[in-house]
Amino acid sequence: MDESTYPAIRVEDIRRTFHPGTVQEKKALRGVSFDLRPGEFAVVIGSNGAGKSTLLNALAGEIPVDSGRIVANGTEIQNWPVHRRARLMSRVFQDPMMGTAAALTIEENLSIAARRGQRRSLRFGIRKSEREAFRAKLEMLGLGLENRLSDRVDLLSGGQRQSLTLVMATLKQPQLLLLDEHTAALDPRAAALVMRATTEVVHENATTTLMVTHNMSHAIEFGNRLLMIHEGKVILDASAEEKSKLTAGSLVDRFHDVVSDRMVLS
Amino acid sequence: MEILSTYLNLLPVSLAQGAVYAFVALGVMIPFRVLSLPDLTSEGTFPLGGAVLATLLAAGFNPVAGLLVAIGAGILAGGATALIHLLLKIPSLLAGIIVLTMLFSINIRIMGKPNTAIFNYETIFTELLNADGGAPLSQFALLMAIILGVCGLLFWFLHTEIGVALRSVGANQMMSRAQGLPTKWYIVGGLGLAGALSAFGGAIMAQFQSYADVTMGAGVLIIGLASTILGEALVGTKTLVRQIAAPVVGALVYFQVVAVALALGMEPSDLRLLTGIFVLCTLAAPLIAKRVARMR
Repeated sequence: MDESTYPAIRVEDIRRTFHPGTVQEKKALRGVSFDLRPGEFAVVIGSNGAGKSTLLNALAGEIPVDSGRIVANGTEIQNWPVHRRARLMSRVFQDPMMGTAAALTIEENLSIAARRGQRRSLRFGIRKSEREAFRAKLEMLGLGLENRLSDRVDLLSGGQRQSLTLVMATLKQPQLLLLDEHTAALDPRAAALVMRATTEVVHENATTTLMVTHNMSHAIEFGNRLLMIHEGKVILDASAEEKSKLTAGSLVDRFHDVVSDRMVLS
Repeated sequence: MEILSTYLNLLPVSLAQGAVYAFVALGVMIPFRVLSLPDLTSEGTFPLGGAVLATLLAAGFNPVAGLLVAIGAGILAGGATALIHLLLKIPSLLAGIIVLTMLFSINIRIMGKPNTAIFNYETIFTELLNADGGAPLSQFALLMAIILGVCGLLFWFLHTEIGVALRSVGANQMMSRAQGLPTKWYIVGGLGLAGALSAFGGAIMAQFQSYADVTMGAGVLIIGLASTILGEALVGTKTLVRQIAAPVVGALVYFQVVAVALALGMEPSDLRLLTGIFVLCTLAAPLIAKRVARMR
């Protein structure tokens, strides 16, 4: 296969059961498969406990899979540790406190992100030329963070920290960007701001993105692919064309259709 | 007046003593503050450094060689704690206790006996000051010069790519992994660095008192912690310079407080009790302040 025709990421029948063989046994992923083409922006929706977060954590490597393959650039990566997968992918967490190092300054956090997946040396941690690039990236957010490079991150609000995390995740172009309900813990204004910044950075470089969300209207409004997950399986995979016709109401209907069909079948 | 003159008599020695303990205070600060990983190994690496140095001096090596080997031994001991913690998933405090317990035997093995006197050998003090090891104030000056060098190196290191990454791992492991940092190796390195500082402190201590003893580490962790907390209260923690300066300033001030307590007629054997109470109070202060605020 020619490299240009590879999917950005291929997920093949991944499965994961928590606490197997106990009363708490939970089949979180029951054979999830999909491909993301380069530049696709997929939105993942599903109810609580559907397996959305497990899927994202399995992709990032925080949760190992029991079986199945995750393939990037023709290489199986399902056994790679988190830090090795960071060469390929970056991530924005749900908790705004999670994506940044509080005790470090804004520019130190950015310098960590600028070297994602690279070897570190005993050279100085931040170079002068980098500072200009950091400023330019932060200016795009319109939060004034570009004038606060040497402020510690624990001085920032949740929305500011999440915006910074987003910049960090895209500072070095990832092959796959993982967004884990990254606006869910923010107030509506900050959420809108972070969402706007998200579409900007994703479109700017046509970044292949997987965004998990709880928010129906976000699922309708953003992205060009929609994956609905239920009980550890993809129950709806809508292409850009199908997705453009979806409304929040029709999405809920589709969900109930699929779920009740399955119940009848089983 | 008598108290004041007693204190002034103690001043030069207490300054030198504070400077000696500044190294191990730095070695305690690194895990607690930079790595956010409480670690007790310094109680074992401090005498390890002393034992290694004393043994090498007695075997005819020069003090610089002794210090370098002591640093290497400290790195190994600190790294061992980290590996036990990471690979066997044992809490870091317990991992440290296991290592420091084992070090007790190892330190006696190194010396071949529980203590080694090095009165008759050249030390950094006899080589750089004068044949009798110098007056306390000149020892203090020499130690401060070494401390400045060590702090400068530490400041430089923590600003390199690897150093910034180390601080990032200490602040947020999940984020650091997601940014491609092999967090486990950084923790091994970080505790190794702490071990190096503590062992270096022990090796300096052995030369300062002209002997190494397997029990010289007892209580050293709390002295280091008390120094760090005291220093942080005095110089703050807002910037990295302050965080590095805090244990040094704290150690110097701590031994002034000790000197005053001794001048007031306190039994030296009561000092540990007081130090413990001090650390307890500072650790409990935020909680008590919160409770008081809630009662109002």
